[in-house]
Amino acid sequence: MSSFMLLLHRPVDRPRVSTDPAVYTQVSREYMAWADRMRAEGHLKGGNKLTDDSGRIVRTAGERVSTTDGPYPESKELVGGFFLISARDYAEACHLAESCPHLKYYGNIEVRQVEEL
Amino acid sequence: MSAADAQLEALFRQEAGRISAWLVRLLGPKRLDLIEDAVQDAFAAALAQWAYCGTPERPAAWLAVAARNKALDRLRREARLDSVDTQDETAAWRLGFSNPEDTGKPDDTLALMFVACHPALSLDEQTMLTLQTVCGFTPREIARSFLSTPEAVTQRLVRAKRRIRGLDLAFEIPEGAELAGRLPGLLSAIYLLFNGGYTAAEGEPLMSEELCAEGLRLATLLTGHPATATGEAHALAALMCFHHARAAARTGPAGDLILLAEQDRSRWDAALIARGFGHLRAAMRAHELSALHLEAGIASVHAGARSFAETDWQQLARYYETLLRLKPTPVVRLNAAIVTAYAVDAATGLAGLDALEGEKKLEHYAPYHAARGELLTKLGREAEAAAALERALECPVNGAEREYLTNKLRSSAAERLMRAASH
Repeated sequence: MSSFMLLLHRPVDRPRVSTDPAVYTQVSREYMAWADRMRAEGHLKGGNKLTDDSGRIVRTAGERVSTTDGPYPESKELVGGFFLISARDYAEACHLAESCPHLKYYGNIEVRQVEEL
Repeated sequence: MSAADAQLEALFRQEAGRISAWLVRLLGPKRLDLIEDAVQDAFAAALAQWAYCGTPERPAAWLAVAARNKALDRLRREARLDSVDTQDETAAWRLGFSNPEDTGKPDDTLALMFVACHPALSLDEQTMLTLQTVCGFTPREIARSFLSTPEAVTQRLVRAKRRIRGLDLAFEIPEGAELAGRLPGLLSAIYLLFNGGYTAAEGEPLMSEELCAEGLRLATLLTGHPATATGEAHALAALMCFHHARAAARTGPAGDLILLAEQDRSRWDAALIARGFGHLRAAMRAHELSALHLEAGIASVHAGARSFAETDWQQLARYYETLLRLKPTPVVRLNAAIVTAYAVDAATGLAGLDALEGEKKLEHYAPYHAARGELLTKLGREAEAAAALERALECPVNGAEREYLTNKLRSSAAERLMRAASH
């Protein structure tokens, strides 16, 4: 079994799927149900929501280190949260990601394999 | 709503009261507002977090810690805005804060009930505040059982909490004479809460089911604590057990109303009835006799009868005779008259009902006119019966009641036609 990181991208200008608390609650429950199912099937190893701000970017410019508000200027997407799952290979990891409600509500899921020794 | 959703909602509801009670113990009743907000913050945070990590292993403890942290956040923010120093309190309650396992102590929940049911508030406000703080209902849900809007309920809750803040209450179960003076009010508020569910005028059946269950839970909590386990508290618990035991049999498959006489008694909850009799025995052991004792006794006669025909009407009549002396309200007089119709005869019962003619409270009370219609039908006075049923339909009734009355009216009209045809 390998580990995969599912990075949940969403558009910068859309922090929430809806401002209606009932809709937000419903969407959150769908995520929860998915996470619970992944755990029950032995796939989920962890996950967290990231805060709704755009984060910071720390970089060097010559000798100086500078910190600016994220995301990268050219990016139109933010990572809103992540899951860590275990799967046999990319094919299975992507297959699992396909059932995640994130696709329906926010946008893309970046699937990355964790390099192991 | 899926089963998982219902489970989550039940968890939030259940924990809201326990966590609130725990935090009120630490911060005092003056902070009720902040605590409610902190608990709501914690639930919102839970939704956001659990979306990414699934339900935690011990969700109740997770919620308690989150609510505590949200309360601390709010206090810090307040301290910064407010020149009044909260630093002194901080050390004291931080100790208690370190142990979220302390949530759910029945003493705290009882103390919170006494805060919410303070006599400085109206009975409606007491019930609303109990529903919010002790039972974890949202203003939207409370509005449904009070036939009000969420905004209006929120307004009343805000005002109620402001008044509580002004009272500078201690967070404790009152003792001695104060306890004796306040317990009846507390019981009334719980009874009102239960009744709100029992006779829900509209809305989903689930909601009314939950209100009844909460009412019963609170009454049971009272009977489980030595300070509050009075005969009257046991009587209230018994009454609720008997009524609630019939819940499933009260409605047919289509949500239609089934009256006591026609209920399938095998669908009554035998375990709950047995529990009711246990509370009734405990109530009778105490040397007191309250209206609640008699009402529980009346409910026990129905609960103990194998069929409607086997109901001990003489015993019921005796209970009502005493109850009329303690609580001669129009509704009690109405029910007493109905019992007379079975214990003596329909004509005597009708005479009792007719003596109530002109009572303001019964003028728009459907059961009064429905009972008259029923007895008039029995006495063969169909035209008058139809008029009475029509008046019942003009009163505020819920959907199931409307259907029942309309059917009655239709069948009495059909009977009249058939009789006319046979003459």
